[in-house]
Amino acid sequence: MTRKILLNYTTKTTEPILASVIKETGLLLNILYAEFGTRGGEILLAIDAPDKDVNKVIELFKRKGIEIKEIKRAIQLDRDSCFDCGACLSLCPTGALYQTEDKSVKLDEDKCIYCELCVPSCPVRALKLSKF
Amino acid sequence: MANTKVNKSVAEINERIRRGDAVVVTAEEMVEIVREKGEVGAAEEVDVVTTGTFGAMCSSGAWLNFGHADPPIKMQRVWLNDVEAYTGVAAVDAYIGATQLSETRGFEYGGGHVIEDLIRGKEIVVRATAYGTDCYPRKEIETVVTKDDINQAVLCNPRNAYQRYVAATNSRDETIYTYMGTLLPNYGNVTYSGSGALSPLHKDPNYETIGIGTRIFLGGAQGYIFWEGTQHAPTKAMGTIMTVGNLKEMDARYLRGATIEKYGTTLYVGLGIPIPIINERVAKTTGVSDENIKTNLTDYGIPRKDRPILREVTYAELKSGKVEIDGIEAPVSSLSSLKRAREIADILKKWIGEKQFFLSQPVERLPTDQVFKPMKQITAVPFVRDLMTRDVVTAKPSDSITSAAKIFAEKNFDHLPIIDKKGKLVGIVTSWDIAVAVGTGKKKLSEVLTTDVITATEDEPIEAVARRLDKYGISGVPVVDARGELKGILTSDDLSKLLGGRKR
Repeated sequence: MTRKILLNYTTKTTEPILASVIKETGLLLNILYAEFGTRGGEILLAIDAPDKDVNKVIELFKRKGIEIKEIKRAIQLDRDSCFDCGACLSLCPTGALYQTEDKSVKLDEDKCIYCELCVPSCPVRALKLSKF
Repeated sequence: MANTKVNKSVAEINERIRRGDAVVVTAEEMVEIVREKGEVGAAEEVDVVTTGTFGAMCSSGAWLNFGHADPPIKMQRVWLNDVEAYTGVAAVDAYIGATQLSETRGFEYGGGHVIEDLIRGKEIVVRATAYGTDCYPRKEIETVVTKDDINQAVLCNPRNAYQRYVAATNSRDETIYTYMGTLLPNYGNVTYSGSGALSPLHKDPNYETIGIGTRIFLGGAQGYIFWEGTQHAPTKAMGTIMTVGNLKEMDARYLRGATIEKYGTTLYVGLGIPIPIINERVAKTTGVSDENIKTNLTDYGIPRKDRPILREVTYAELKSGKVEIDGIEAPVSSLSSLKRAREIADILKKWIGEKQFFLSQPVERLPTDQVFKPMKQITAVPFVRDLMTRDVVTAKPSDSITSAAKIFAEKNFDHLPIIDKKGKLVGIVTSWDIAVAVGTGKKKLSEVLTTDVITATEDEPIEAVARRLDKYGISGVPVVDARGELKGILTSDDLSKLLGGRKR
């Protein structure tokens, strides 16, 4: 299962933290989104690996002074309500919402970065974000 | 009309349906048949082509009759689940319109949702007030009804099934919320509506077979066309129809209340028209493909009646999910459901195959030469150019804070546009920025100016700019041309001239 962790960089650092974690663990850390300003920033990672490896990644970032938050929110597409218009599709920045060959709207949650743009765009409120 | 090689009457086609040997295909299948066999071959082979569309149709609503209470009431105003219905007709008749908003839940619930809830058999709270008469003494009533409790529930839509519709995008540098959905900044996405090759009215654009009295699929039941729709514009391939049908027989799968974000509520209507292939002309139009159905890609960033058209796009491009604008691919959203449109065309095909649905010969044809006129206005609408101040005091980024402070002290205004050597706007400084600059010991305007400036153009209507001032909580905007050169400034002081009765 893909787990998603949010790295919070609070101070300026010149160290290649992300690169060194990738090197040390040998895991493919997929950057879903990143944003940096003058006072640090954040990176959302998706890691498709066994739980113990992901836990090791989290431990390494913590040791390097990065705040970690595991994202456990879930976006849900209510297939009973959805009528496959596709209003959400062009708003989804990562292709997590997509249309199959027969024009059914589907959700690939692993790709979702929880930008929430799609939620209000659904005319029948078939997309919901639950936080737990 | 010119003579045709193939000639079939609706009665003959109905006879074939009755015998069980009519050839019925969907409009998507017809595209392939015409491509393979030509229009004459297709007309000889095929008897009926079914179409379908499932999209937001704001001009929809339902006539309801509640029956009389005891003592009776002549409803003057009536609300259904807090959504007001129109009752300026006889005592207990009312029209619930799809876009009317709930007085308690706003955009989340409206007339479209009331209609869906009625079909689903849910209880609806009815509240009415009246002035009271000798024959209708009652002044208020509150009750709960379902569709089974009321006498009539008739879906009656003044404008449905647009032959095609424009595709929308947004040139502005902000996200806008329109009836064409959420449009991202800088042509960030494209939205469109309509089923293209399955679109009912695009398959008989000359109205040879579709007319008053045509039996159709409406909301999951059999309904009828009873007039041309409002804004019917057949010469621009923007024909529409008025439709009617028994709401009590309909299915919520094909009639859904919906919310368009920050715009309002609407009703998604499922509609399909069976087209009898009476000759090869009709075979040809029913065989038109998505590649040959064009519409205009329109800039909704400009809030005018005639929005700028960027270029023509085909429904094939739109359905591909990507449209190129200025060399960059923009993702596309359909607002109507192609999957459900196909489902409707398939159901119509099945109904005809099972002899549950017969075609009707229209009693009158729909107009083919009507034009859609703009509203007659008797007062002129002011534009930015009419109210803006042209004589603007400006400064350069390299100017000192002190010199700017002096300008603010001498002149009575709050906005100082900052321009470069070529007259291009590079930022803005307000009197508040100067106060902060003095307090924090800044020296030059370049250190305090805001570069991300909200601007206006000369040809924008004042209403659009007033909305922008309100949205960003600002009191003025520099006016620039297409090259970003400063042309003037429009402030809330200029807007107040309007209230003073300034004539153009």
